[in-house]
Amino acid sequence: MGDIRQSLLPRDVLSAAKELLYHLDIYICNMVQSGRQPPQVDSKTLELVEEFILHAPKDRNTPARRMNALQELQLLEIMCSCFQEQSRDAVRQLMFSALFNLQGNQADESRMGLLGKLVSMAIAVGRVPILECAATWLQRTHRVYCVRLAQVLVDDYCSMVPGSVPTLQNIHSASPRFCCQFITAVTTLYDLTSEELTPPLELLQMIVSWIQDDPHLVLITFLNSPISGSQPLSSLDITPLGGLVRWCIKAPLAYRRDKKQALTNGSTDTDPEAGPLFSALHLNVLQVFMLLPSILNEKGLFGRLALLQMESLATLTSDLSRLLDQSDKHTHTSSADTQALSQLALDRLAQALQVAMASGALLCSREDLRAICSRLPHNNLLQLVLSGPVMYYNNIHTPPLAFSPHAAHSPIASHTALPTHPALPTHPAHTSHTPLATHPSSHPQYPAQPFMTGMPFPFRPSH
Amino acid sequence: MSAQKDCEFLVKRARELVSDDPCAAKAWLITARTLYPTDFNIQYEMYIIERNAERTASAGRLLYDMFLNFPDQPIVWREISVITAALRSDSQDKHTQFLRGLFETLPGRVQCEMLLKATEQCFNTLEKAEMLLLLLKRFPESVVQHGVNLGETLLEAEASENVETPVNCFRKLFVCDVLPLVINNMDMRLPASLMQKYMLKAAEFYIGYVTRGPSPDVQIQGSQEGGTLKSPTVSRGSQRYVIDGLSEKSSVVAEPWERLLDVLAVVGARCEWQGDKGQRNYADMLQRVKELCRYLPSLEGDTRSRCCSQVVICAALVLFRSAFFYVSAVQPALFQGVNALSSGPWILVEDLSSVYNDVELERGALKHAHKKRKLADGREKTMSSDDEEGLGKNRRHILVNKNEMPGWSETLESFRTARESWDLLHSHDSLETEFKKICATWKTDSWLWFRIFLTDMIIYQGQYRKALSSLHQMAAVQQPQPGQQSPSGQASLEHHRALIQQASCHYALGEYRMACEKLLDVVSGLIPPNQEPVKTLEDQTRVKTKTRKGNDLRLLPCTSKSVLPFCLQLMLACFKLRAFTDNRDDLSLGHVVVLLQYDWPQGEMLFLKAVDKICQQGSFQYENFFNYVTNIDMLEEFAYLRTPEGGRIQLELLPNQGMLIKNPSPALGVELNTLLLQGVQTMDRYPRPLLPQSPSCLPHLPSLPASRLVIPPILIWACHFTSRTPHSDTRNHQRSEGGFPSGHGEAGVTLWRELAQCASQILHK
Repeated sequence: MGDIRQSLLPRDVLSAAKELLYHLDIYICNMVQSGRQPPQVDSKTLELVEEFILHAPKDRNTPARRMNALQELQLLEIMCSCFQEQSRDAVRQLMFSALFNLQGNQADESRMGLLGKLVSMAIAVGRVPILECAATWLQRTHRVYCVRLAQVLVDDYCSMVPGSVPTLQNIHSASPRFCCQFITAVTTLYDLTSEELTPPLELLQMIVSWIQDDPHLVLITFLNSPISGSQPLSSLDITPLGGLVRWCIKAPLAYRRDKKQALTNGSTDTDPEAGPLFSALHLNVLQVFMLLPSILNEKGLFGRLALLQMESLATLTSDLSRLLDQSDKHTHTSSADTQALSQLALDRLAQALQVAMASGALLCSREDLRAICSRLPHNNLLQLVLSGPVMYYNNIHTPPLAFSPHAAHSPIASHTALPTHPALPTHPAHTSHTPLATHPSSHPQYPAQPFMTGMPFPFRPSH
Repeated sequence: MSAQKDCEFLVKRARELVSDDPCAAKAWLITARTLYPTDFNIQYEMYIIERNAERTASAGRLLYDMFLNFPDQPIVWREISVITAALRSDSQDKHTQFLRGLFETLPGRVQCEMLLKATEQCFNTLEKAEMLLLLLKRFPESVVQHGVNLGETLLEAEASENVETPVNCFRKLFVCDVLPLVINNMDMRLPASLMQKYMLKAAEFYIGYVTRGPSPDVQIQGSQEGGTLKSPTVSRGSQRYVIDGLSEKSSVVAEPWERLLDVLAVVGARCEWQGDKGQRNYADMLQRVKELCRYLPSLEGDTRSRCCSQVVICAALVLFRSAFFYVSAVQPALFQGVNALSSGPWILVEDLSSVYNDVELERGALKHAHKKRKLADGREKTMSSDDEEGLGKNRRHILVNKNEMPGWSETLESFRTARESWDLLHSHDSLETEFKKICATWKTDSWLWFRIFLTDMIIYQGQYRKALSSLHQMAAVQQPQPGQQSPSGQASLEHHRALIQQASCHYALGEYRMACEKLLDVVSGLIPPNQEPVKTLEDQTRVKTKTRKGNDLRLLPCTSKSVLPFCLQLMLACFKLRAFTDNRDDLSLGHVVVLLQYDWPQGEMLFLKAVDKICQQGSFQYENFFNYVTNIDMLEEFAYLRTPEGGRIQLELLPNQGMLIKNPSPALGVELNTLLLQGVQTMDRYPRPLLPQSPSCLPHLPSLPASRLVIPPILIWACHFTSRTPHSDTRNHQRSEGGFPSGHGEAGVTLWRELAQCASQILHK
């Protein structure tokens, strides 16, 4: 395909780009048709793309050709229709890769610039094929670039043009995959460490409404991905769950900080509604966790795939501990209000940990949890979660027969009682205590689990 | 203990949060459930939050979980019973609808299981049945297993609970809900005998429902179209009908006759009845079984008994339905939901519109009729054989005022259809036996409305003796209750319905004295009308009736204004025959003259005949003359009779002439005689005030036309019979009668009653 360069050179920028797109389309079509494995665009072609579409300088001799704004808009339009008209998925994907896969060279900057504009335009005019390709791109690309793309879109739709939020809102029906990846990128972007990294309220509202409408949205990428561990390193998480959990847990403290700043700046309270939104979001996240056991079981992944990473949780708890320290220092007097918000954050942490563990999204023992939570202040629920449920036979609420961690009627029950991570065998919380009862018929699949009895336990909440 | 405390702690936190932040509360509970998945209270709390927020889908999901995981929790069962109660209820309120929606979210298998288990836990038969019915309606496949059992349970419950009417909650459920499911389920093979048993159960229910009486504590008033129900309870202010144990809505049975026909069609098809292509309507049905009947004698064995059943069931249904329509027109007040205001009760009586006709003509006809009736009475025991004759030769006309009874043709048609069905049912021994079995099971003897039909039917057939005994029984049942007399006298009139029919029957049998005795009972209870008598009734039918010979019947409206003229006519008819015999009977003749004043000059011909008779006799003695004869034409005629031109007839017309001479007290008669007869004799045409009247005794008369004399006929009757008895009191009676007010004040009526009592005492001696 390299031989067409001569014919492209005399053309003006737009028609050259157009011509190249046309040839690229034919080239990829032929490649797909011939069934060459692996279908890969050769480097010559990639160079042509960089030269005639991204206009990266080929060498010092040739001056970089530039497009004016109008030409750029026309090019974007041509690309939009090019993807729209191509009916074959594989061809579209290869084309999108040829254009936008980062090559680690100078052209990447203009590549990202053009990509941001193209995706933004695709959202505006509802070009689903481009969004689908972008979703794949967001899965394969390093998270730093994913976050950049998300930033562009949030700027375009939430910050720059007021009232354009509904346009972005529609992407969840246009391309759920893109929407899911967008959420993951956004939750990675806004980590609530500073005011700039706090999500705009419009964005938050939008995400909450998406997940409320369809909790499965969060799992779309995960559900559509093959089980192979082909997830590139340092790409985005396969689900936005980790990011969402972080949002919900840090929000009470982060928004308190914002408020304080807002007050000191003398500005008005801008986000009175964030509290209930995060409360709803937190519930939605827990509900999504509850969907997991059956999905994981179906895929044969229960206990084998951690959707929440221990490392990121460790980061979260240390962040949290720091935030709590800060807030204590800042206020000096721990007012009832401050206290309540701190407890809310810890409640949410405890809930997220417990439910994630029970649903198989988090693979660790309670001891691991105790390790990462050791520096956190006291919270009843957290302690209950860290110590785990008390188990013994004569539970007055339930008939003895129904009470068995292996009871078939609730998959959650069995896995809650026995978090089974191959790498992390479970241990009784305090081995020094002699178990009063052992499970009569240990399932061969599970290690024998001594039951914790109603023993005095330091972590037990003082309720 | 600790686990329980944990759970309590978790639930408590959720409860604290639920009002301010329901999402947080739910997050707590989700966490709690993952910690203690087998704790019931946590899941129940989750359910309660969703239920209280009326979120159908999530509440349904949680209920489903609880149902599976905690099948023994009483609270779950309490909840399920609340939901199943909502399913059975008529209520349209939001929460009930939510509960129903909640149930709908459950998977069918769970619904089925839930209903079955809820049914098991139910100890009340009715509730249990309703629950099972929910199951059967939702899951038709369960009908095979539970349908017949449920039906039998209901029928057993009905029997063991000693309910006094077939219109009860058990039967209603059986007939309206269970039966259609059972008989329409083609997966089930039911024996024909069972089908027929169920068919009869259904028929008994629907007939009982249609013919249910008005509730005792509500006076029938305003009813709505289409047989809407009325309530037995005034306190609730609604005019509705409720079957004990059921809600108001489920007490309603729409189009009962149509539903019955539906059941019959299915049963007929499944029992392989002859010529059954879906029963279109009741009239067709009767025709079909009539034809079928012709082949009956040639059939044998199973075919015969199947045919028999078909004929009896079909004909019986047509009979009861037509009889109901007839009686609901004739006695609407008997039924709840029949529009009682459209037309009042009607009485089937002998037609007397020919009473003013010539005596000779009529006597002949009547005598002939007598003979016939004697014959008929002799064969009363076997009514069916009598009927054949009755059908053939004894076809009688029933006259109705078409203006007063708008649905007259339908009513008469129903009467005819009912009679035909009856005849059909008695045309073969085997049919009769089966029909009698049905009647015995249903206790039709105790159906007042049906007895009314039967009585009218045997009157139609001319079996007056039998009709009388039936009427006697009915009169006993229909004795007026104290305090039930409505101001219009309508209630008492209805109670006198039987009496009037008795009088009519006695008359037809030639028992004039008994006829008059019954009339006395009737008239003493009448309150005289304030309107002019209806002449239109007579005018309309006169032309036709002239050709008839006293063999017709009439449907007489049971109102004072119609009953009174009828009573007068009946009395006239009684006296007429007596007055114009060859033997001299001045008293009867006088009474006839008095009675002829009513509806004058209708009976002018008879009056002239009476005058002829007086002329032939050369003398006439009638002491009540001036008390009761006020018709100027008649007075003139009598005045003329005394003149030489009139033949110098010897007239003794003053009350107790003999007594008055002896009695020094100035009784009214003396002056009247002198004053009036002279006046009349001189042919001066004095205006009415000069007519015989005492200001103290006849206070109303001047303002009333002569034809409105109401009570005198009874007095006449009393006189007539008392005067023949050589009793010492007789004279006194007559005297008091003579001076008795002929008006109809309160005191007057009371006195008349006393008098009537004395008279009947004498009669019975």
